[in-house]
Amino acid sequence: MAELTVVGKPVTRLDAHEKVTGEAIYGYDLVLPNMLYGKVLFSPKPHARIVRIDTEKAKRFPGVCAVITGEDAPWTHGESIKDKPFLAQGKVRYIGEPVAAVAAADEDTAQAALKLIEVEYEDLPAYLDPEEACKPGAIPIHEDFASYRKMEFIVARPGMPNVCEHFKLRTGDVGKGFRESELILEERYSVPIIQHAAMEPHSSHAQVDPKTGRVTIWVANDAPFRALHEMSEALGLPKEKIRFINPLQGGGFGSKGGLKVEPIAVALAYHTDGRPVRLKFNREETFISTLTRHETVLYIKSGVKKDGSICARQMTIFWGTGAYAEKSPTVCIRSSLPAPGPYRIAHVKVDGYAVYTNKPVAGSFRGYGIPQGAWACEQHMDELASRLGMDPLEFRLKNVFVEGDTSYWGEKLHAVGLKETMMKAAQAIEWGKKDQGSGVDPFGTLRANPEHSRGIERSKGLRTGKGLACIQKPTRTPTTSQAGVRVNSKGEMTVLAGTVEIGQGCNTILAQMAAEELKVPIDKVRMHPLDTDVIPFDASTTSSRSTYHMGNAVRRAAIDVREKIALMAAPMLEAKKEDLAFSEGKVCLKDQPEIFLTIGEVIRRKMGPDAVLRGDGSYTYEIGKDLDLETGHSEHASAFYMYATQAAEVLVDEETGRVRILRMSAAHDVGKAINPLNCVAQIEGGLAMGIGSALHEHLVLDNQGKVRNPSFLDYHLATSLDLPEMIPIIVECTEPEGPYGAKGLGEPGLAPTPAAIGNAVANALRVRIHDLPLTPERVFWAIQKGKTKPA
Amino acid sequence: MKKKIQLTLNGKKTILEAPAHRLLLDLLRDEIGLTGTKEGCGTGDCGACTVFLNGKPVNSCLILSGELDGAELVTIEGLKIGPELHPIQKAFIQDGGAQCGYCTPGMLMMAKALLDENPNPTEEEIRFALSGNLCRCTGYAKIIQAVQDAAKEIRQAARR
Repeated sequence: MAELTVVGKPVTRLDAHEKVTGEAIYGYDLVLPNMLYGKVLFSPKPHARIVRIDTEKAKRFPGVCAVITGEDAPWTHGESIKDKPFLAQGKVRYIGEPVAAVAAADEDTAQAALKLIEVEYEDLPAYLDPEEACKPGAIPIHEDFASYRKMEFIVARPGMPNVCEHFKLRTGDVGKGFRESELILEERYSVPIIQHAAMEPHSSHAQVDPKTGRVTIWVANDAPFRALHEMSEALGLPKEKIRFINPLQGGGFGSKGGLKVEPIAVALAYHTDGRPVRLKFNREETFISTLTRHETVLYIKSGVKKDGSICARQMTIFWGTGAYAEKSPTVCIRSSLPAPGPYRIAHVKVDGYAVYTNKPVAGSFRGYGIPQGAWACEQHMDELASRLGMDPLEFRLKNVFVEGDTSYWGEKLHAVGLKETMMKAAQAIEWGKKDQGSGVDPFGTLRANPEHSRGIERSKGLRTGKGLACIQKPTRTPTTSQAGVRVNSKGEMTVLAGTVEIGQGCNTILAQMAAEELKVPIDKVRMHPLDTDVIPFDASTTSSRSTYHMGNAVRRAAIDVREKIALMAAPMLEAKKEDLAFSEGKVCLKDQPEIFLTIGEVIRRKMGPDAVLRGDGSYTYEIGKDLDLETGHSEHASAFYMYATQAAEVLVDEETGRVRILRMSAAHDVGKAINPLNCVAQIEGGLAMGIGSALHEHLVLDNQGKVRNPSFLDYHLATSLDLPEMIPIIVECTEPEGPYGAKGLGEPGLAPTPAAIGNAVANALRVRIHDLPLTPERVFWAIQKGKTKPA
Repeated sequence: MKKKIQLTLNGKKTILEAPAHRLLLDLLRDEIGLTGTKEGCGTGDCGACTVFLNGKPVNSCLILSGELDGAELVTIEGLKIGPELHPIQKAFIQDGGAQCGYCTPGMLMMAKALLDENPNPTEEEIRFALSGNLCRCTGYAKIIQAVQDAAKEIRQAARR
């Protein structure tokens, strides 16, 4: 490969200027001419039949244009199961479910009109615990589940009516494995509901053209083509009649794929005589009525030999999906599969259940279930190591997947950078150096702000510990990305790609790849705004698939253009196409670089000054194979795998239970860092989210299923004072199919974090905590319990 | 009932009419059309809507229009120095301080408030000053680095 000029360089973000000046327009900022303002009435009941809705008073309120209920929007949607109505139909299934909506001249009027809507409910028994809801004979939350349209592999289970997916992995014979084991350990772990809490709340604008029936939706959705597909199926409209326009997105982390606010905005827009509707959820509404991460209960049982080899592992996992399935079936499959960890185990059995409850809807969240699996598996690994008298790192190194291993689901693994991440993450926090200061002054921040010290000012009763955890993460497979590249007669490139810039930096790295293929400077490349009428197809901006899939598509589109330019330039330079080279925006002779034409000049001479040369590229990972439904096996379950290890050093105050992270390393195998600056940014951001979920994030519901902390005052996101010294480490284990060897990175950043911290806390206290988050109260009581009962 | 408000907005005298209960945030975004100031929570918890009111940083979602007569306001759109980006803006670009960028305007305004008062802050002082501005993307590391780099640039420029 020729020397890389732009790829692999720390290029600053293409979108940074518009973001630091306030010029960037996000979905929440958008104002359309003559628009109406929407507001939604939410269910106050976790599970109830709607006996009566009276909207007459609201409709008569001055300034109100439309008031609608489920009867006015007889549609359902859902990526895997079409179980979710645009507005509640006949019953409600969680507190926060949209029941009715108003469009009015301004928001105050819409808000006032909501209060005039009368709804009478008849309570039904509610399930708030996924294990309860999963029990045979449970009352169904969805009576009509069997008749819903759904993905082929999803079947109704009359005996377990609230299970919307049951994933099975069967490898070897776990009974035999346990009999051969010299030590068996069985534990239960749990992870609570947390929320994405992207800084931009959810919103959507919609307009229906009364003449053509065409529906236009302006929304910061991270998978516009999937949204288009879902909307088309829901409304029974051909895709050509629907258009998604994507303004900038203020973060998503999985919450803004699929349809959230869009269906209600569209339903309203059908009743406004062509006027556009803006529907914005405020922060509280975003917390209670958009999306959450699955609460998860994990049972794990392992059998090991005294030499540290793992004979058998069995897991039963309950994914609480809330009232609607959303992406739960695929979360359940893709994360139950690798939940037993990236280890060589001959006998493995996993049962994963996605279970309906009467709680807010759970779906995709950065990491797609891998963090929950790791919380259980990686702490369980430390527990096993402790009982075997082995160092946790040594125990892992003995068992981890290495190049050429066949995984327990039957896939021969390649490009496995796991061991390297493990060694580097451990080394970065001086693993093995016991009871030595980290060199970081843990009291620095506290001294500067004694009012924030929260009691950690003593040296007595403080314990330090170290811990690490690792993960292996698949990506959505098989999928397709398509891209276009245009070059004008000034040699400027425009890239058309359906990957959504959600903050992860895709626009910059895709532009880098396009620039690299044509050898033009990065400042000559711009990304086209996203609009499904114009932009080629892309499956989704999810599952860390974009660098690999869209990267390959953009690269092919750029190569297509390059070939066309070379064909046009050859006669002009009186040379053969094969004898041409590209450099610094020019086409030149390979052996006489001083003889050249600029790319723009070639296009101008051949096509005229105003013409544009176009190239196309498409990439599908073709050998992806679906998992076998009975065994969970697949020879190609994922286009590629991401590997990571993180290691934490913590300080725990025994008197208050407060955990402070002193330093934390994160080593991620990215295949090839297209932009190292951006990779570090992704790792740091992932760590911050992981630390928040480890120490304080928890969406608290009361015993009726009502969210008690739907605000940033009460839902504790990590602030600048909560975060430790972070040590991001890039590992590059080349993926041969990836563009320039790249894999993906966005999602794994937070996946091993809570487990690494949990292991460090256990190392400090000699007490194991099985439930997240590690709040001072929980840690304090665990210490008290540990005093009476040795771990 | 609308109230007449005279104020200085990003250095320009402005007269407008708004109901006294209209929040400054909504006034800026919906009535004046300056959407650089972001709404993250509407309850004063996230700092995304930070603007300067009479020289002090405030959460514009907690200020009523009725209080604004005679006020001097600076928003993110007024942070540039003439046609030039403010050193804090330049440092955010250079260091990767913005990812999704939604918290960025508020973060920049709060960082400016810090540097106006303390041109040579320690890391801890920066962390403390920005602790009311939430960011879900960056983990704050690049933001803190950008503020340090901007502080250095401002101090050097003052010596030049």
